[in-house]
Amino acid sequence: MLFLMFHIGRDRFVLDAEQVERVLPLMEAKSLPGAPPEVVGIINYRGAPTPLIDLSLLALGRPSERVMSTRIILARYLGRGEGHERLALCAERVIKTIQRDPADFVATGVEAGSPAHLGPVASDADGFIQWIRVEALLADEVRDILFQRAGEPA
Amino acid sequence: MTGASGAGKRDAVPKTAGGETAGGLLERPLPTGYLEEWARHFAEGASEGAAEEEGDARAALLFRIGDEWLALPTDHLHEVAQPRRTHSLPHRRDELVLGIVNVRGELLVCVSLAALLGISAAGAVEAGERSRAGPRLVVIGRDGHRVAFPVDEVHGVHRYVARDVVTLPATIGKAVSSYAVELISWNGRAIGRLDDALILETLDRSMS
Repeated sequence: MLFLMFHIGRDRFVLDAEQVERVLPLMEAKSLPGAPPEVVGIINYRGAPTPLIDLSLLALGRPSERVMSTRIILARYLGRGEGHERLALCAERVIKTIQRDPADFVATGVEAGSPAHLGPVASDADGFIQWIRVEALLADEVRDILFQRAGEPA
Repeated sequence: MTGASGAGKRDAVPKTAGGETAGGLLERPLPTGYLEEWARHFAEGASEGAAEEEGDARAALLFRIGDEWLALPTDHLHEVAQPRRTHSLPHRRDELVLGIVNVRGELLVCVSLAALLGISAAGAVEAGERSRAGPRLVVIGRDGHRVAFPVDEVHGVHRYVARDVVTLPATIGKAVSSYAVELISWNGRAIGRLDDALILETLDRSMS
């Protein structure tokens, strides 16, 4: 199974490549005053306004570094509505993919205390790699704010 | 691009684990106007043909065998490697299976796509611009089942949209056509896009 790897701070995380539609270069986002803090703004992806979440900001409270390897991962986000919505995720060092057996990932044992999107971990020579679940990335309230147009009219 | 400043910056970047030596190049700061330019680029796509690209963008590896240019969807493509020695298999003298190759420690069956598709190796070769790069070994596979086949030249991955596709005329009698499902126009040429699932199935069957 193919995973897209990225970094949050010094730690390595992966996303299921199936959920990744495209990796885009970092681009200017229109900020959304009053939006939930993890939403840094919206980007215009081919005419579709797509909410941008900064994963470093979400996890560490500081924005991703502005360097070439910081990229935007355009993920398929399975919300409540039909079809898929897109979620743009800004992360550091989005530079490689890895092949891992999903069975390599084991539960961390501290699920109870950590956010829902942090999944199981796999280890290799350099340490642990944690699986991030896109579908659990947003709290229900935030998801409803961002994607309410999919269901009922605002 | 700020090549010079990028090179200077590389020393300042802490060494990443796992031998990512090229990583340093990617750690350079963004050039001025970079963010705005990309924001503009992806916003503009909305007007021309983006609708097509969105749902329908497909990618295929373009390569040449003999004088035939072919395209293979990237779904089952694993890698393109340097050609290497094929170890022939005793008691296996058919045209299709060339032998065994070692791709980064994994022994893969090397097959002749030319034999499968009925392409003659000779012929007046109209080589592409990357022909100097020489032959390559393409590895495809599905469900952990991988095979390799040599090609004479790889152009690279070509992204195309529905508009570039022509369905295959039913009158074509060559063997290629039974594996080709459609034609993609590329650089004024029409390239047969192969049905990778069918090819993998056929190879699986003929090797068992």
